[in-house]
Amino acid sequence: MTGQRVLKLGSHAFPPGQPLIMAIVNRTPDSFFRPGLTWDESAAMARVHDVIAEGADIVDVGGVPAAPGAHVDAAEEIGRTAGFIAAIRASYPDIVISVDTWRHEAGRAACEAGADLINDSWGGFDERLAEVAAEFGAGLVCAHVGPQQPRTRPFRVSYPDVMADVLARTQQLADAAVKAGVDPARIVIDAAHDFGKNTWHSLEVTRRLGEMTATGWPVLVSLSNKDFVGETLGVPPEERLAGTLAATAVSAWHGARIFRVHHVVESRHVVEMVASIRGDRPPARAVRGMA
Amino acid sequence: MLIAAALCPSPPLLARELTGADPVVPELRQACLEAAAALVAAGPDVVAVVGVAGEPGERDARGRLDLAAFAPALCSSDGEGSAGAAALPVSLGLGAMLLDQAGYRGDRVLHAVTEDSEAGACAALGARLSGSRSRVALLVMADGSARRTLRAPGYLDERSAPFDAGVTLAIAAGDLGDLLALDAGLARDLMATGRPVLQVLAGAAAGLRCVSEMRYGDDPFGVWYLVASLGFPPP
Repeated sequence: MTGQRVLKLGSHAFPPGQPLIMAIVNRTPDSFFRPGLTWDESAAMARVHDVIAEGADIVDVGGVPAAPGAHVDAAEEIGRTAGFIAAIRASYPDIVISVDTWRHEAGRAACEAGADLINDSWGGFDERLAEVAAEFGAGLVCAHVGPQQPRTRPFRVSYPDVMADVLARTQQLADAAVKAGVDPARIVIDAAHDFGKNTWHSLEVTRRLGEMTATGWPVLVSLSNKDFVGETLGVPPEERLAGTLAATAVSAWHGARIFRVHHVVESRHVVEMVASIRGDRPPARAVRGMA
Repeated sequence: MLIAAALCPSPPLLARELTGADPVVPELRQACLEAAAALVAAGPDVVAVVGVAGEPGERDARGRLDLAAFAPALCSSDGEGSAGAAALPVSLGLGAMLLDQAGYRGDRVLHAVTEDSEAGACAALGARLSGSRSRVALLVMADGSARRTLRAPGYLDERSAPFDAGVTLAIAAGDLGDLLALDAGLARDLMATGRPVLQVLAGAAAGLRCVSEMRYGDDPFGVWYLVASLGFPPP
């Protein structure tokens, strides 16, 4: 097994064994979970204050929902995200800011506004994103989306071995990022649950996530309230927290480093509990039986 | 010559194992099974299964659906279930599954065409299959548009409804020749993957009178599923 390395994001250097919570702040009117919650900019900034107070390490700002819907062009996406990122940066000089985009134009605008990490959640669709990350010294998330194009749904996708495909594609993207000049200490890989995957595939990559952490690349998981949780438990988006946290615990056990979430406090408790079970983190306060 | 045909869609969820505890679409599965059973009951010398796949051509007649490609957890470590059979593309795999479920033990041939196969080539394949034996049955695995609703795999395209209605009408009326005129570019836009396979059917049935029994037509997930049995009585 290749050992996990220090992960650099912004001015921070995070050691292995320190799980990071990435809080989702969508600048969209139509994302699948609590749509429109942070569409208004003041509501979005209030949300940023909340998630940072709750212990988020990273704020992930997205301007385009993953699902198909009303067209959002690059200019509109930048209008939704770049100024908002600048405002977060002004309030929080040290917080790690991530931008969720597949377009290099939006990545560039975000980095100019102060983003530290480009969350390329559509997995290298725009190869110039890596060049932008390199130019600004930003990090890059390398995600596996199978045959899917941005803002499409999986249609009868199948794999001889889904995890083999995930490992090959994320390694390919990470190699390309290094070649483009991205600092290897700032590269993260992501299986991208639900993207180019049916529920069985997402369960499989969760079960086998240890194969990703064994590569040595820091692993991000984005599980929060997703359809694979909903289909597995037979519940709508607003009832997926427990299932999300179960998948979070398994991913933490396998050594995932970044958890992209809607529920910061609950996720923080899960990953810290698992970190302590793993032996990576001492209990906050242990006196029981020791007085 | 062609004595009977069955038309079924090929969503992976047609395989009962893939939908988990919930059967999800029992009525669709039942309709497909009845269509396959009717095909077998016609007493063919051979059943030809045609479906769309990434690569064209004939596949191993002993091949079976590759469940593990869709649900890795269903592939047990001892290989039980697939029993070493060649892994088929999903359309042909589901066709093979339906024949198995209908208890068919006779000769079968499996042919794939691609989404890009042209109408003329599809019709020629149909004619060749039809002429291969004296009593040929055709199992046509063809799907309508996957862009019928906002929640559909391909989101909504308003052209889907009239496209699928046209296909359904041609099948119901037994006017299979109309299928040769389907617009390949439009079908591709609409994710109507069954277009080439329908044209194989049209080629196989050329010159024959067709009587249809419609068994199912609905879009529970925004994809048009049509199930029908086709007979070709003498004039």
